[in-house]
Amino acid sequence: MLSEKEIIATLDMIKCEHLDLRTVTIGINLFDCVSDDLQRFIGKLRNRIESLAGNLVETCNRIGGKYGIPVVNKRISISPMAAIGASFNSGELVRVAAALDDCARATGIDFIGGFSALVEKGMATGDRALIDAIPEALASTRHVCASVNVASTRAGINMDAVLRMGHTVKRAAELTADADGLAAAKLVVFANIPQDIPFMAGAYLGIGEPDAVINVGVSGPGVVKKAVDRLLESEPNADLGRISEVIKQTAARVTRAGELIGKEVAEALGIKFGVVDLSLAPTPTVGDSVGEIFQAMGLGSIGMPGSTAALALLNDAVKKGGAFASSHVGGLSGAFIPVSEDLNIATAAASGLLSLEKLEAMTSVCSVGLDMVALPGDTTAEMLAAIIADEMAIGVINKKTTAARLIPAPGKKAGERVYFGGLLGEGPVLAVNSGYRENRFVRHGGRIPAPLQSLIN
Amino acid sequence: MKKIIVSVLGHDRPGILAAVSGALLDNGCNIENASQTILQSVFGSLLLVSTPEDLDTGQLESRMSESLCGMGLDIFIKELPAAKTDGHSSPGEAFIITACGPDRPGLVSAISRCMANHGINITNLRAVFKGGDVPDDNVMIFDVDIPEAVDLAVLNHDLDEITERLQLTINLQHRGIFNAMNRI
Repeated sequence: MLSEKEIIATLDMIKCEHLDLRTVTIGINLFDCVSDDLQRFIGKLRNRIESLAGNLVETCNRIGGKYGIPVVNKRISISPMAAIGASFNSGELVRVAAALDDCARATGIDFIGGFSALVEKGMATGDRALIDAIPEALASTRHVCASVNVASTRAGINMDAVLRMGHTVKRAAELTADADGLAAAKLVVFANIPQDIPFMAGAYLGIGEPDAVINVGVSGPGVVKKAVDRLLESEPNADLGRISEVIKQTAARVTRAGELIGKEVAEALGIKFGVVDLSLAPTPTVGDSVGEIFQAMGLGSIGMPGSTAALALLNDAVKKGGAFASSHVGGLSGAFIPVSEDLNIATAAASGLLSLEKLEAMTSVCSVGLDMVALPGDTTAEMLAAIIADEMAIGVINKKTTAARLIPAPGKKAGERVYFGGLLGEGPVLAVNSGYRENRFVRHGGRIPAPLQSLIN
Repeated sequence: MKKIIVSVLGHDRPGILAAVSGALLDNGCNIENASQTILQSVFGSLLLVSTPEDLDTGQLESRMSESLCGMGLDIFIKELPAAKTDGHSSPGEAFIITACGPDRPGLVSAISRCMANHGINITNLRAVFKGGDVPDDNVMIFDVDIPEAVDLAVLNHDLDEITERLQLTINLQHRGIFNAMNRI
């Protein structure tokens, strides 16, 4: 029989510590919808998505209700649009994005990802058309998310694509100037993109995946923070090994909850279960913050010296606990540090304790990268490309995923605030070290070669 | 062999189980299953016991009451019918209902009445003080089996009504979530 302590601890995690299932994402393979006739393509695509995902929201709500754990977001990821829509030009792909937005509304989900291209080694015609379509596609839709993989450890960094993405990010922000550049918040540039991410804006369904699959993203930064608080209250002299152990155990519990619900949703929909993404994903709510975990561990604020080490400990413990608890893990799996989406991190950035450079350093040991970082509106496309290139290099050399979700907020200067609303949150505009506005390095183009896999120091 | 249920109730002290089990052994009985609990200072136990066919249950109860009355124990023995008729064998799933808030009269009655109305069997009930600084932080934990036919939305609606009336927080959750998060 379950003990009272077990029941109450579980209840507290859900009711007081913001434990939820952050997302259940249905991946839908659309390769057999390919057509060179736009109307036909859109018709097949809508039919497929709406038939497979039509019951997703209701099913998640029902099963989440049964276990008393809310499934906060229900999402769709699709095969990379640059591949399945390769025969269309950018104008036509904007119309496809509008159709995807319609699918999102029809199914009641909050985001649909996969307006994506994989160009780490080179860009094909369809890739160029898709990247060109991204700014308008994201500006004219509400639910569509885009991602472009420009680098990998095996291929190196496609600097032509990086520069192009600098311009794309800039243009997307400009087209949504009245919303602080919101379209750029739905666009991620990746190195080593996983093919089964359930989280947005980077979710897409990779090649090698089945017809349809359910991937889930767990959350729980509040649960981890409270677990560390409780440990240090009862054992004030606990060392970092002990703190790591407690985070590991907590991550295992959180993961088990996610896997239980994800598998049941998959079974109810008659779809294969894919992976649990073991991520600590914050929201802009007090008590649901990754930044607060740093403070629980003894740092005055995220961004101070010690933050990279603390994040390394946290990220590793989350992975270890989650990997033990789940049969199949994947996606990004680790701690997220999205600036505007985490109240505590946004506050640290606004007070100057957390800089763009420190964020970049921290991304070398965590699961994502420069995430939801608002930059001055006058940051040039070349400067954006250079920031992206730096972030990609960290991923490529360290054989890990890194990403950049940068929002050059039109008309805003460093220190001013941006407001995106909802889970995307709000936060300060971070300063960019752009003493020299010109950046000839990124204009060279070409490909930074793939790194050696030996001589690894 | 026939089976009996022996119930034991009394002020808790060392030696109760030794005395009861010794008396059963002396009468040729075998304890097959047992459950016991202590509420504040009161000891209570239910023992499922197999006995020789010719053992007179009434006499056994008298003998045990006599020999154990010095320990202040009340003994009650009931013969189990040969066929098990539990009356609530419809298939169902195990859920846990927790009610958090200040202890007050009518809480157990309201929730158990609601369960009875839905044909839900309560398999266990515990009251726990959560600890901490809030004296009203009490939790009642009901383990229940909910038949498949019960509409969870309607049940939740009925529990919401109790929540409002008694100023409690009531949660209905499938037991699977507690198992998943606490057991390997």
